[in-house]
Amino acid sequence: MEMAKITINGQAVSAPAGTTILQAARQAKIDIPTLCDHPALRPAGSCRICVVEVKGQRVLQTACTFPITGGMEILTESPRVVGARKLILDLLFSERNHYCPYCEMSGSCELQSLGYRYGINHWVYPTYLNPFPVDASHRYLLMEHNRCVLCGRCFRACGELVANHTLGLRQRGARSMIHADLGLPWGESTCVSCGTCAQVCPTGTLIDKRSAYMGRNAQMRYVESACSQCSVGCGMKIVTRNDSVLRLEGDWDTKVSGGLLCQKGRFAPLYDGRERVLRPLVRRNGRQEAAGWEEALSVAAEGLRGRKGDLGVLASSNATTEALYLTGRLFKETLKASRIGLLNPAVSEALGKPKGSLADLAGSDLILLAGADPLQDQPVVAFLIKRAVDGGARLVLVDGESNGLAPFASMILAMDGLDQAVQMAERAANPVVLYGAAVPDGAAGVLKRLQKKAAFIALEPGVNTRAAKAFGLAGTFQPSGIKALYLLLGEEAGDGADLAERIDKDAFVVVQSCFASPLTRRADVVLPMAIWSERSGSLTNTEGRTLKVQHAVDPAGEARPDWEILALLAGRLGMKVGASLEDVAASLRK
Amino acid sequence: MKKVKIATDWLGGCAGCHMSFLDIDERVVKLMDAVEFTSSPVTDLKHPPEDGVTVGILEGAICNSHNVEVAKRMRERCQILIAVGDCATFGGVPAMRNLVGTEAALKRAYLETESVVEGVIPDSPELGKPLETVTGVDKVVKVDLFIPGCPPRADAFFYALSELLAGRTPVVLPPELFTYD
Repeated sequence: MEMAKITINGQAVSAPAGTTILQAARQAKIDIPTLCDHPALRPAGSCRICVVEVKGQRVLQTACTFPITGGMEILTESPRVVGARKLILDLLFSERNHYCPYCEMSGSCELQSLGYRYGINHWVYPTYLNPFPVDASHRYLLMEHNRCVLCGRCFRACGELVANHTLGLRQRGARSMIHADLGLPWGESTCVSCGTCAQVCPTGTLIDKRSAYMGRNAQMRYVESACSQCSVGCGMKIVTRNDSVLRLEGDWDTKVSGGLLCQKGRFAPLYDGRERVLRPLVRRNGRQEAAGWEEALSVAAEGLRGRKGDLGVLASSNATTEALYLTGRLFKETLKASRIGLLNPAVSEALGKPKGSLADLAGSDLILLAGADPLQDQPVVAFLIKRAVDGGARLVLVDGESNGLAPFASMILAMDGLDQAVQMAERAANPVVLYGAAVPDGAAGVLKRLQKKAAFIALEPGVNTRAAKAFGLAGTFQPSGIKALYLLLGEEAGDGADLAERIDKDAFVVVQSCFASPLTRRADVVLPMAIWSERSGSLTNTEGRTLKVQHAVDPAGEARPDWEILALLAGRLGMKVGASLEDVAASLRK
Repeated sequence: MKKVKIATDWLGGCAGCHMSFLDIDERVVKLMDAVEFTSSPVTDLKHPPEDGVTVGILEGAICNSHNVEVAKRMRERCQILIAVGDCATFGGVPAMRNLVGTEAALKRAYLETESVVEGVIPDSPELGKPLETVTGVDKVVKVDLFIPGCPPRADAFFYALSELLAGRTPVVLPPELFTYD
């Protein structure tokens, strides 16, 4: 790579030719202020706050878009530059409502911090009087046009990152405003509620309704974790204050999806209104009654001990790897259960372990999507596919017209057309194969023809399905005939009423669950479990990456993390496991 | 040494800036060695002395004709005029009414508020006339120093006065004392 030698404020800097002044300055740890720039987005040069003086250039240049060449001399804080930045800020502040005391973003607003940096202590220009509307029609977010500086981060994120193209810019000049679908109320637009726009907004324009006015950033705690709502496992930060979860933010540094989250991951878990199970319950004389953990675990252990052929366990893939490991060992090795199953299906094993990653989608020219509906089940993968389609990749869909991505496919085939799809992929330069659980073992053989050429990504249903499979938890079974049943439930939707009906009347049932449901009401022992924000542990995502989930708030009531409940139970049933997450994790590594 | 005279007054504000000023606590005793407080809304003398003061301090936004008069009188009678707080510097909370207009704001407050019975918009000749637009003080008179904040920190008041007493101008507030809220 050709390196360009330049000077910034007299300091010698060397950076690859063609990188922007901003990138070169950042590498050299020289601070240039920005507003419309965002690390995850392409440079736009719209706000002008990053202007710098380049020797030989007649006018100031935006550092975020101007490429460097050898010998360039740059000044980033000269009097001319500072004067221009103050003028730009005075102009930004001359329109709309930028009064901080009654803004939700005060304390973490990028416009505010620029005002501080350049000493803006009064409005230079006449007071602005034309109010813009406020769009409160969205379920989760608020669009307060009066706070907008038209930096364009939101609609660039909507287009570039999520490939949804809902947000845009309309009108001209002082009337310019962001819009959803050319002026529809946001809540009635094609918005998929991924929340990325609000996360990139530098001011108080797009704000999260649920956490608005609940405190300043400095008062909040950011806990790095991973989303446990599907098998992608996007990196996220759980934002908490006073032991309450306020909101979730995508982690820009994560390798999994680069900061994206979806409605299922960002909002749905915080609006979950299901009733929690808060204390252990034990059935006494036909009635469920509150009990202590000691009693509940004893009754559960007695009921499960020595049942062998009568014993079955069904686990949810929503559990942590540690919990699934303990489930596998306890029920298979120690209790010798006859039936061990997973509550959700899994992809065919006929293709072995797929050796691709979601990052491969970016460079792909043909995406073969078979037997999966990521828009429903792994929305962030659908965003990445749509992004690739925007970039020119063809999507060949082997699933059917009802697939959420059907409108973006250049060809839609049924499963018996898989052969034709494979032929097309064989002719492509960089094909990527995404396959889900609806691809039968037989059809997997056809896909195998691409194994030398294409990157393969399995789209596992459920959450921690790959870890579950590794511990022998796979396939499901009918609970009829099982006389002692252990259910490790997750947080997935559905109340399990159909499963509850199929359990034998005289079966002894232990349910480990976060939420009350027909299954917990059927149970002889209910063990209350912590939800996603209350547990630590690890997950294996659909690419095979190990992800850490972190406890951000304390469990509600007497609930305990999934692995801890299983470790306590295993201890009573004679299996040697430690009492801490580290002990379990160490035992797992062995 | 002759003491430096200070006068303060408030316009469309909430008195919070004056409260914050008083929060300089025991340092006010030290300050009294060098300054003389003349008029203020919290002392018996309400109007700045006719022979003038060195420093005039104004809190609050320009919301009505009375505010304009008070601001102009202070400007005439002081050498250095300081606008303190977000209302005096930017318009602040009273400027929210610019987004709906003065007429609509008056109607909502005096006629349409849920608790109102037989409401009347006050129009006594003793009251200042509400202006169409709420602005900071600098839109009416020249301001020499702006100290924003809602309210400005007590330390910002003390810092600014100490700098002026030491003859150091222009006063540049250190970042920790420069705040919009």
